[in-house]
Amino acid sequence: MHELAIVEALIDQVGQELDRAGQPGRVLRVELSIGRLSGVLGESVRFAFGLLTPGTRVEGAELVIREPKAVCNCRACHAQSEIDDLVVECPRCASTDIIIEGGRDLLLQSIEIEE
Amino acid sequence: MKIVAAKKILKMNDQLAAENHAALEAAGVFALNVVGSPGAGKTTLLEALFAQLKGRLRPGVIEGDIAGSIDAERMETIGVPVVQINTDGACHLDAHMVAAAGKELDLREIDLLAIENVGNLVCTSGFDLGEHLRIVVLSTSEGDDKAVKYPAIFQGSQALVITKIDLLPYLNFDAQRITADVKRLAPEAAVFQVSAVRGDGIAEVADWLAEKCGRRAR
Repeated sequence: MHELAIVEALIDQVGQELDRAGQPGRVLRVELSIGRLSGVLGESVRFAFGLLTPGTRVEGAELVIREPKAVCNCRACHAQSEIDDLVVECPRCASTDIIIEGGRDLLLQSIEIEE
Repeated sequence: MKIVAAKKILKMNDQLAAENHAALEAAGVFALNVVGSPGAGKTTLLEALFAQLKGRLRPGVIEGDIAGSIDAERMETIGVPVVQINTDGACHLDAHMVAAAGKELDLREIDLLAIENVGNLVCTSGFDLGEHLRIVVLSTSEGDDKAVKYPAIFQGSQALVITKIDLLPYLNFDAQRITADVKRLAPEAAVFQVSAVRGDGIAEVADWLAEKCGRRAR
């Protein structure tokens, strides 16, 4: 999708967090959580990160990406199924009476800074 | 040292979108985010709707395109206030671009602001612009499987307008199939079938829009 725009926003946000914490130090590690249903590809974010971070405060930082799955809760058979992709029916009983939870968020989890 | 943030990326866009929404509300403007593939007929649909709504709602348009001002010129031809955004390669509009464009329009003279997004069914789904309704425009020639293939854009939308239904005799397009798929993704979404060249269905979409922005209409 629009991974370049996302990484631009990420770099700004890391800068804001550093300012808020009063930390001028070098960033060692940035940890992201990219839900499987967010439509954002970890590989592309990694590519954009390498492209956009040189010359910023995030230059040289390690990028750690977690990609949590979503859960499909079926109201017909009460199955809870972990899903990697968006589904319109329960993977177990094919009912469409389902509620999908999680897997959509795109989060900046943590930033590790040199002491 | 570790700073735990656990904050949404694109939060900035969401905040700006909320500001856009508040500014639109304050000005009494009802805004649409019109999304769809290149060539789906977004501009043609808007032209037909504005003609239908003449005398009922005063329209305005923000046109989003990677390059050029062809669509904005079409709007100027029919006398609709318009601002063109060129995204210089970006595949979607974001709330910041819309905020800047909005300043170029006299919102006091607009009841219904259509924000025509860049032709794209993927990236446009990630960016709230501050609109009241998001409408997907999909032409029959794109195929009836698109809701399954691009679910995110349908999921957050309030209407699907199927365009170019005059081509149905020449296509294997099953309107019932895509309607059923969209209803699964967005149960509340309204589904319309139109042909802008023949005029089919345009009045229904126009009436629905007029009703949706009813309390703002003069």
